[in-house]
Amino acid sequence: MSAETVIATRSLTKRYSEVIAVNGLDLDVRRGEIYGFLGRNGAGKTTTIRMLLGLIRPTAGNVTVLGERIEPGQTRVFGSVGYLVESATAYPNLTVRENLEIQRRLTGAPANATAQSIERLGLGEYADRRAGRLSLGNKQRLSLARALLHAPKVLVLDEPANALDPAGIVEIRKLLRSLADESGVTVFMSSHILAEVAHLADRIGIVHEGRLLEELDRDELDARARAYVEVRVNDPNRAAVLLRDAGFTQIEYTADGDGPTVHVLDAADRTAEIARVLVSAGLELRAMTPTREDLESHFLRLTGEDVGDERAAADKTGGA
Amino acid sequence: MFGQVLITEFAKLRRCKVTWATLGGLSLGPLGIALFMWIVREPGRAAQLGLLGTKASLSGIEATWPSFVYMLTMIVGVGGMLLLAFVVAYVFGREYAESTAKNLLALPVGRHWFVIAKLVVAAVWWLVLTAVIIAESFAIGLALNLPGFSAGLAVSAIEKALLAAGISYLLVPVIAWITTLGRGYLPPLAFAIASLALGDVFSHTGWAVWVPWSIVPALIGMVGKPVGTLPVGSYVVLAVTFAIGVAATIAQLRLADNTQ
Repeated sequence: MSAETVIATRSLTKRYSEVIAVNGLDLDVRRGEIYGFLGRNGAGKTTTIRMLLGLIRPTAGNVTVLGERIEPGQTRVFGSVGYLVESATAYPNLTVRENLEIQRRLTGAPANATAQSIERLGLGEYADRRAGRLSLGNKQRLSLARALLHAPKVLVLDEPANALDPAGIVEIRKLLRSLADESGVTVFMSSHILAEVAHLADRIGIVHEGRLLEELDRDELDARARAYVEVRVNDPNRAAVLLRDAGFTQIEYTADGDGPTVHVLDAADRTAEIARVLVSAGLELRAMTPTREDLESHFLRLTGEDVGDERAAADKTGGA
Repeated sequence: MFGQVLITEFAKLRRCKVTWATLGGLSLGPLGIALFMWIVREPGRAAQLGLLGTKASLSGIEATWPSFVYMLTMIVGVGGMLLLAFVVAYVFGREYAESTAKNLLALPVGRHWFVIAKLVVAAVWWLVLTAVIIAESFAIGLALNLPGFSAGLAVSAIEKALLAAGISYLLVPVIAWITTLGRGYLPPLAFAIASLALGDVFSHTGWAVWVPWSIVPALIGMVGKPVGTLPVGSYVVLAVTFAIGVAATIAQLRLADNTQ
């Protein structure tokens, strides 16, 4: 763990009787970075976040935030941590301002922090509206305002884009980016929305069934993304044979709503040659798309989501 | 820091209908006694009320200040135990019902301060309710012009009502613990009803002054003659119950998983 490590977990494990929600997680989140914690529903994201905040106790392993061990009785470090866990919540009988004022008092933030937080999250119009009468999106803004109110060094956000409209998502994205870039705030955010993580995170941890499958820097993600040419023809089996004979060795079948397709890997600059091989053999070439695998495809491949589909497609077309 | 926590705990009651509901609920008690007294004093007109008049005349209650005071202590003692359980279940349970508990648990504030502040809020709330009910009762009693009033009776009635209210309060940390354990309103309310029934059962026995939940019924004479003065041991039992309740609530918040 380097001096720049702000959040560290070691062998972090949470077990609920037979279910292992988080399994031996080792994480290092560096100062000033936005770390995207990506996983499908039930992957262990929220359980991990709860352990980072001391809301639940690990079955094994430990968590350190800003050099302080998270354990019962720990309070000091939380003056530097802002958080939003799962759903946005507030006291429904209190106004936006009154809800934030409670947070201000409990974190010891200065008197003007409430007004600043309201302005920063665009809640001015709703400042005197009861939280129980806010839309879901504004409730989410209120929860984010609460998390940011005391100018924390670390933000732990569970699905921060939940319930926000597209403009709100862009706004929050810019806000988090500027906090990280200009104020050196470290952001640990979980999400199952791949596009959100892809747009914002400097580093991505992919968690599946409680285990960290992969950790990627943005550059690494770009480097690992597979390039291929997606080919749609009337006879995918024959196309595969022809392409192999022509020297294309990495060929995969897959299927989507429009039927089976052939993926020719590492051939993005050889589209003309692919077309010539197929057309000269009399095949009906319906579409040919050079594609670069995005985070979504990478994620689905890593978590095994598309394995079944590929296998089914391979069965249909006689195997690759 | 505790001062700030206490301010926020009181601030949470702003525009809160439950505070008025508890005041309204308990205020009905003295009005009910007044109606009883009126029926007993006016049997002719009460007869027009049918069954209600019959019940009132069967109860053997006299329309006098001593009877009025006895019924007042019943309301504060027994009704109060239930209502106070409701207040405590609300003060602690709303954090789970409104899913705000998680917002309190990772702050630069020790979790025990929330427990203590909430118990102070419940104490002030309960004190206000008790004071209002006592004042309301005396106003109604004087308006009815009941016979048998004396300064000594008034002082003794107030002392007894406050003592019953105080003893009831010493039992609330257990309710707070059950609320945090059960994370909602239902478990503490179920426990309050069960403990009242338990208290009633034990108040028939020689153990009445040793079982925490039967001390108030024994004191006010819910089923037999009032015990008069409680032995010191009763206060020890109550103090231990209070301390265990507070410690268990703090331990629950400090050590248990919050998976809300």
